[in-house]
Amino acid sequence: MIQKIIFGLMLALLFQSCNSVKEYEKVAINDPDMKLSAKMLERYETTFQVYREAAAGANGGKSGGGCGCN
Amino acid sequence: MNTDLDYLRMKIKIILLFLILGVKSFSQDGSEFKKRVLESTEVDFLLSYYNQDGFKSAVSGGIGSEKLTDLATNLVISMPLNDDSVITIDLGISAYSSASSSNINPFNATGASGGGDDDDGDDDRKSQNVAAATAPYGTPWQASSGASKNDELSSVTVNYAHSSDTRNFIWNADVSFSNEYDYTSIGFGGGIASLFNDKNTELSLKANVYLDQWRPIYPTELHEYSKYGAGFLNQGYFSGVSVLDQSGQSNTNYFPSAFQAISDVNRNSYSASFGLSQVVSKKFQASVFFDVLKQQGLLSTPYHRIYFADKANYYIGQAEYIPNYESENNAGVYKLADDIEKLPDSRFKLPIGARLNYYINERFVLRTYYRYYSDNWDIQSHTVNIELPFKVSDRFIIFPMYRFCTQTQSKYYAPYEKHLSTEQYYTSDPDLATFEANQFGFGVSYTDIFTGGKIWKFGLKNIDFRFNQYRRSDRLTANIASIGFKFIMQ
Repeated sequence: MIQKIIFGLMLALLFQSCNSVKEYEKVAINDPDMKLSAKMLERYETTFQVYREAAAGANGGKSGGGCGCN
Repeated sequence: MNTDLDYLRMKIKIILLFLILGVKSFSQDGSEFKKRVLESTEVDFLLSYYNQDGFKSAVSGGIGSEKLTDLATNLVISMPLNDDSVITIDLGISAYSSASSSNINPFNATGASGGGDDDDGDDDRKSQNVAAATAPYGTPWQASSGASKNDELSSVTVNYAHSSDTRNFIWNADVSFSNEYDYTSIGFGGGIASLFNDKNTELSLKANVYLDQWRPIYPTELHEYSKYGAGFLNQGYFSGVSVLDQSGQSNTNYFPSAFQAISDVNRNSYSASFGLSQVVSKKFQASVFFDVLKQQGLLSTPYHRIYFADKANYYIGQAEYIPNYESENNAGVYKLADDIEKLPDSRFKLPIGARLNYYINERFVLRTYYRYYSDNWDIQSHTVNIELPFKVSDRFIIFPMYRFCTQTQSKYYAPYEKHLSTEQYYTSDPDLATFEANQFGFGVSYTDIFTGGKIWKFGLKNIDFRFNQYRRSDRLTANIASIGFKFIMQ
């Protein structure tokens, strides 16, 4: 639990120090490969991993249920 | 001449006056320019092929073939309903063939199953024209002819998303349904996302509920026991079939008294997800996700066998294979189960994950992902994923991928024949064991922003291909290849 709290605090500090990036400065940020989500085709890999591993979730997608998996 | 100039000046003034009035009335309407959330209908056609092999089948109590192939396809249609709203319909079908699940009924079709319907829902689906010609046999190392060898999963999800005029607030709602032979799921949920700090920060919250239901299928021998009770070895499936003991002699003492048919077939899942995304610099952005998941109901799988270490062994098949039961050379004998796996009826999962993406230069982007997972079944897991897209040209991107996962076993897990009958909960499912897994792969992406290729009214914008190989430390291996086509309506 302590590890999780430290991890969260570090991220909060990281975000706190950010400068605002203007829309016209987001050429690189708007690159399709920079999206902060799994790619659509990745869903099939995620599905078999959910069956073959115990862990799921925390990836912006489904975290459990909807299948007879672990 | 002056009259002409005055006339021209007057004309310009009148035009300017109309222009000013026009602009003013336009702004008073409030109909300022607003970019549509989705310009036109998009259609994604996705296809995937997966195969695996392993040696620890949960259906056979932790040993045996895990061969499986799966072919899946999805059609995802996203339609703009107006400037602010998009509806997405995701239709999917997946068909698999599995050696492991074929062994729910591991015995060859010419054996005792020829004696009639055992009502377990498995034989019901297979050909009934079987003849009791030879004694039945099976093996955990090969697929049987059981009907549960094949199954199809159909699914549909509908999602509605609405963005505010400023595009700084989005809410969505979704419903889903999926069905396979022994499992049905109904799900619904919704979420909100808020962008602020010049759209550099995004906070999101979503919640989902899945109301699932099993239609349990039991291993054949346990189904017969639950159906006929004490005299089950002389009735139904077992009528006229010899049960062998460890020495290969015929024996009538097999009695799986620990087994009880499942009464609560529901599995409910409730999840809440919290997300925070931040543009850190012109080339770096990151996000964190924190999920809370509670599951209740039937969390075990009804056809996963258990063999207790403190119970005698009984078999059906050819006695000469009994000494080599755990070897892949066993081609003709199958051990009768003591019970099915039993797991608690609640589980609490806590995954936390982060993505860090960095734009290295015009050629390379670094995509990373990390997740820590823990649950109250004592499983802990770390997952790392790295992807390095490389722009070969304006149209082609290739990307190598690597993923590593390690997990500790559930406190309810023990390998084949290591559980004791005195335990309250038990499973020999290797997916809940300790292991490490490595996944290597690559992908290719082709993008044509001019959508040159056309099918009817749709222009082809993008083709993606991915291939990955998965290797687990318990010798399970898998390969998966996927391809996706994105079309834009024109």
